[in-house]
This record gives sequence, C-alpha cells and structure tokens, in this order.
Amino acid sequence: MASQVQKLNYVDGKLGAPTSGQQTTRVLFNTIEAPGTTSSLTFFRNFQGLTNGQTNLTQNKLDSMESMVIKTIWLSQFSLSVGDLEEFGGLVQQTISIIVGNQTVVKNLPIQFNQGESGQAFDRLHENGGVNSDVNTASTLKYQRIMPIEIRLLTDIVIPPQVAFEVRIDSNAGVYGTGAVVCALAGYGKIFSAGNSF
Amino acid sequence: MITAQDKILHVANKLGLTSLKDMQASTGAVYDVDTDLSGTIFGQAARHQNPSITNVTENQFEVNEALLVENIAFYVLDENEAVRNFQNIYGSNKVIVFDLVIGNKRVMKETPVFAAGSPYVFANSGSTTRLVGEATVQAMVPRNQIFMEGVGILIPPQVQWYVQYTIFNVVTGAIVAPTASTQIGCYLFGTKVLLNFNTSI
Repeated sequence: MASQVQKLNYVDGKLGAPTSGQQTTRVLFNTIEAPGTTSSLTFFRNFQGLTNGQTNLTQNKLDSMESMVIKTIWLSQFSLSVGDLEEFGGLVQQTISIIVGNQTVVKNLPIQFNQGESGQAFDRLHENGGVNSDVNTASTLKYQRIMPIEIRLLTDIVIPPQVAFEVRIDSNAGVYGTGAVVCALAGYGKIFSAGNSF
Repeated sequence: MITAQDKILHVANKLGLTSLKDMQASTGAVYDVDTDLSGTIFGQAARHQNPSITNVTENQFEVNEALLVENIAFYVLDENEAVRNFQNIYGSNKVIVFDLVIGNKRVMKETPVFAAGSPYVFANSGSTTRLVGEATVQAMVPRNQIFMEGVGILIPPQVQWYVQYTIFNVVTGAIVAPTASTQIGCYLFGTKVLLNFNTSI
C-alpha cells in the first residue's frame, strides 16, 4: 500500500516538481463570511479581507516549493451572534467537490453520510459528526451539541506546487447563516526548506 | 510503511547521531504553558515549575534523547493550575494558529487547531459528557489536537524547540488575547528515545 509520503513523492516526481523540502503535516483552511442561504459555496477562491485566523493562504495555490496530500476534509459553520457551532448547511443533503487545476479530483461526494437527525454515518471510519446529536441541552458558545464534519479520504489526493485548487459545496438552498463557514484540508505535505542551499 | 523507529533512525543517521540507535525506545510527552502570555510555548520552560506547568527543565533534550512528535495538542491552564478544555473555556468559534520551530527551522507552518474540534477528532466522535458547573448540561467535548501525518517530526537531542501561536475568532478574524486565567498549554506526544547507559558505562 502506497503511503501518503510515497504518493506525494511519486506525483511530484511525475510533474518534475521539487521533492526536497521539510516534510510536515499541513492543514490549509479558508473561511467564507456571512454566506447566507445558497446552493453553491466555493472555498479557497476568495482571500480578500480575511485575517490569519480565517485562512492561512493568500492565494488558491501552494508556493513553488510546496505540495501536499489531501487526506482529510473538515467543514464547520458558526453563528454570528453566539459563535456556537451549527449544523453545516442545515440538515439538507450536500455534496463536496475538489478541483485541482482543471481536474475534478473529488466529485459530488455526499457529506452527510446518512447521519441526518441524531443518526449514525454509514461509515464511521471516514465520517464524523456534523449533524444534530442526542445531546438535549441547547447549544451555546461553550457547550457544543454537534461536532464539525470530517471526512477521511480513501485515496490520497495531491495538490502540486503552483496549481490552483478549490473546494465546492453544492446543495438545494443550504442554510449557511450569517456567521461564517470554514473548510480545512489536512494531510501530509512539504514546505519550503532552505536546507543547504542558502 | 515507515515506522516511527525507522524515521528516528533515518534522521539520526542524517545528523550523524550514530549512538542514538543504541538508546532506550519509549513513549513520551512534553508539555509547557505560556505563562507570560507572549504567544510562545516551551521557550521559557526553564523558568516554570515542574510538573504543574511543565515537565521539562529546558526546551531541548539531553544527549541521546529525542522525541518523534506524532501528536500536538492544546489545552488551557486556569488560575488554579487546573487543566481545562480549550473549547469549553474559549468557545467554539476560536482557533489556535501555530508554528512549531525546531532549531532555526519552522517545521509546522500556520497550522490551525479549531476549538470546535480540530481535524483528526475521529477518536471521540459522538461522545458526550455531563459537565457540572453553574448549570448541569450535556455537551460534546472536542479534542484540540493535530495527529501528524507521514510518521511525524523528530526533535533531535540538544536542539531547542518552541511553539508560536495566536488565538483568533474565526468568525470575525479578530485576535483573542489569553489571560492569566486562560493560559494556553501545549503537549507534544510521540515515540521517545531515552538515554541508555548500559552500552556506555
């Protein structure tokens, strides 16, 4: 079984991208403020006006010496006034697509995983939370009733250096509220390392 | 598949640490708290009380000791030196964005740990707990940690390390300052190498 390390080296090698650099765990994230009710959200497209607490990129691509494997997708929704964690998009069915360059690498993957209201995902190994739990206390800033959505991918998806990417959420009028929604992509990566070259 | 031991030996070999392979393999964790509220953890560990604030005497390991960092976790230490959950103190809409620096190298870069439950929270998916305080409520208590992909990152012997962090409100983007009663602590957990005298004395 090829590991994330081997997969990243293989793809970087195929593309002629630098394979040296500091090996690390990389988590990219991007926030959309006040998304409202919409049928389509696109993360990693707009970085204007966001602080370092809302995104850790300034453009929708990695630097020339950086690359990573997407292994985990993380989604969350926060209310504006209370700041508590809300159900992502309400309880409606939504799908996620990841586009790297001109290629769709994850296509219309459902994010609810059959959980619905107080349900269990059909695959608990690869999906976590995101919908109402059986906790009967009202949600507040400091007492969460739900957990963020997290999907562990079976296939290692590579973001090569300097290739634009984005994450798209499709739904039939998902309710994303007036606070903020956040998408994070996590996995093994490489960051620029001066090493012996400086 | 590369194991933690493989990774340690690979790095030791690169660094010329020929005797590290003869040392005692173990499991270990180091922790420290930013009592100065300066945004740096482990940097001032030498001044901190052991074990209530930290479990290291300085922010570098001794000769032939090392730690392969496989998990990085954050928590809050309150004014009574009690360990608290980051989400439960700061609220769900906060995020810690941190760097891990080893020597003069930044090995973790602008990595977010979301109070709501950072990526890598599968281990407690769906769990609930009853908290007794001002009111008795039930809540999901998330983990605030990062599991390291690709085995982990080695902190070699006698090299200083520290964690730099900033807390933000992810909704507004504003910086949130910790206080004396909400100090941020950090764990680095993983495979440890301990000094073993047997082969040398």
